[in-house]
Amino acid sequence: MTTPSTQVMPPSKSAAAPDLPAPLAELPMASQAAVPFVEIETLRVKEFIPAAKEALTSLIAEQGQSKLIRPVFNWAGRNSLFPLHWGLACCAIEFAAGFGARWDAERFGVVPRSSPRQCDLMIVNGTVTWKVAHKLITLYEQMPEPKWVIAMGNCATGGGPFRTAYSVVPGVDKLVPVDVYIAGCPPRPEAMLDGILRLEQLIRERKE
Amino acid sequence: MSEMWINMGPQHPMTHGLWNLRVRIDGELILDADPEMGYLHRGIEKISEDRHYNEVITLMDRTCYVAGLAWEHLYVLASEKALHITPPERAEYIRMTCDELQRIGSHIMWYAAFVQDIGLMSPFLYGMRDRDLILDLFQSFTGARLTYEYMRVGGVRNDLPPTFTDQARKILDWLTDRFHEYDQLCMGSAIFRKRCDNLGVLKANDCIAHGITGPMLRSAGVKRDLRKDRPYSRYGSVDFDVAVADGADVTARYLVRMEEMRQSVRILRQTVDWLEKHPGPVMADHLPRWLGAPYAPVGREGYLLKRNYAKGVGFSSVEEPHGEAQAYVVNEGGEHPYRVKFRSPVFANLSAVRQYLVGYRVADIPPILGSVDVCVGEVDR
Amino acid sequence: MQPDDLVKALAPKLGPNLLAVEPFDGMAGRVRFKREGALDLFRAVRDDLTFTHLSMVGGIDWVDHREVFYVAWSDSARQYVLLSTDVPATDAHVETASSVWPSANWHERETWELVDITFDHHPDLRHLLTPDGYVFHPLLRSFKLHEPEELEVKSRHV
Repeated sequence: MTTPSTQVMPPSKSAAAPDLPAPLAELPMASQAAVPFVEIETLRVKEFIPAAKEALTSLIAEQGQSKLIRPVFNWAGRNSLFPLHWGLACCAIEFAAGFGARWDAERFGVVPRSSPRQCDLMIVNGTVTWKVAHKLITLYEQMPEPKWVIAMGNCATGGGPFRTAYSVVPGVDKLVPVDVYIAGCPPRPEAMLDGILRLEQLIRERKE
Repeated sequence: MSEMWINMGPQHPMTHGLWNLRVRIDGELILDADPEMGYLHRGIEKISEDRHYNEVITLMDRTCYVAGLAWEHLYVLASEKALHITPPERAEYIRMTCDELQRIGSHIMWYAAFVQDIGLMSPFLYGMRDRDLILDLFQSFTGARLTYEYMRVGGVRNDLPPTFTDQARKILDWLTDRFHEYDQLCMGSAIFRKRCDNLGVLKANDCIAHGITGPMLRSAGVKRDLRKDRPYSRYGSVDFDVAVADGADVTARYLVRMEEMRQSVRILRQTVDWLEKHPGPVMADHLPRWLGAPYAPVGREGYLLKRNYAKGVGFSSVEEPHGEAQAYVVNEGGEHPYRVKFRSPVFANLSAVRQYLVGYRVADIPPILGSVDVCVGEVDR
Repeated sequence: MQPDDLVKALAPKLGPNLLAVEPFDGMAGRVRFKREGALDLFRAVRDDLTFTHLSMVGGIDWVDHREVFYVAWSDSARQYVLLSTDVPATDAHVETASSVWPSANWHERETWELVDITFDHHPDLRHLLTPDGYVFHPLLRSFKLHEPEELEVKSRHV
């Protein structure tokens, strides 16, 4: 007859085996020297952190720029394009109408700013003459990076109805790099908004 | 000691156009002003020498882009005198309707920009919304919002649609209430009065000496309006008053333009009634055959064509929203005009800027320049 | 006011410098004068004939000579008058009207830079619409514009 106080113990694999719970007993570690459970866990974590750090660093270096940071910058940039408050000719009237109550451009985050230092978009809306070319390039250079240029209207695209004139630059892309061309003489405010949205699509696909 | 020349432009939110206002200032006080124009000089007069008479009309829209139809009317009147053509009466009434609608549209645009510079933000939105109604009306019969190319030498391009009368009357009724609201927003505002009273004063003899016309001259008390003094088109048969104010300051110019808008509504009611009752042709029937084909390419020396048409010189002047504009067209018997010369009212208004800007402060420049109603396209041509 | 009234008022002041006064549609008349009598004519037109408002000064290039024309308005007579003079192309100068009508100032600047007519004793004859230092006078007949196709070839080298 067994006495009730007698505990049934599982058979130990070795006399020097520690008091490990059953799943851990099958591990190869079980045959090693006696190490308390807590220390084993700490050891595993201590090995894990450097491995994890190395993995994360390489991940960010290769892909974090393109998968994490660049999309955030693109999202912020395309939803807050600040054009320069500048009107050259007739297209400027449609540009102003685009900021009226009917075609509200500000709902796209587009807010005209008076100083080029605070802008990232220059909408060239009108005929560019050789007399203003120097000032236009100066304004473009005063804008901080990243910056974009929209050529609005036929005059900014290629000289428009005044292409043969002696004082007209045949297209603003002879002076500054242009990202989006909007055709029209003048383009309707909806066309201007379409051009701004195409620029936003371009910015969405920006890689660097 | 602290005097310096400051460049306000060509990029400046308050100067409303591509020009450079150079002011010599001592702190806040303006000592001298020297405007620098020509940043929008597109050589329109030179290009016109290569274009058919009807092709020059496309350039007229772009000369003054807020009042395109008025400049088309100006050029077409001068060309008809040079080519000895008379348009039919219905075309004259349509042209008058276009002129007056353009006057209201231009003054609303002026109002929206002017009060925004002073600091009132909502009238810009109200004004642009109402101006869009007028542009919808233009779109219904010309097909465009800004560059219409609607008038031709000898008449207009096409007749009005049947919806025109109702749409026009609805818009005129709506605008009459809106003008009252615009007045309440501005004249009832103490800030507006403080910023605009006794500013930019230019008395009557200075105005006349410097060639100033239009609302700036009428704000100095001179009752001069080309539509009454030398009626062109059919202005002799419509009934209206000339808006005149005393004071010659910014507030007076504001009052003159608001009253002009109301008088334009009055003229428009009469012309719309006439157009409803009198159908007819809108193009002259005695046009020469070469004038009926606007796109015949004739090359650069087109004015030396071998056909012998009657020569002539035509001079016309219209009361454009900014003032009195003039055109001088020389016809040497070809399909292209030999010379077209335009006189822009804002050209004269800006040439006198030294008179009405010196002695005031830099913070007064936006209201004063706003009251001049600058449109640089017609200054630089 | 009729052309005869103009002749009556101007002939004593100008003498042989007044060449002709022709009728002109919509105006009091077209006064053709020789450039030597310019200042006398301007004073007479402004003071005796009450044309106080000079609204336009322009130039036309007829290849062998050039023409300067002035348009003035009278408030009391409610009429325009056209004054025109011919200057030879080799020696194109005429007295300025800005001492009589200050509004002529900018118009004469523009006429000089576009049609190459010098205005003697003008207070400030410099470029207005064309850039400073632009040496051409574009509205002369000898100044040719490019065709649109030519521009594309040229601008590839920009």
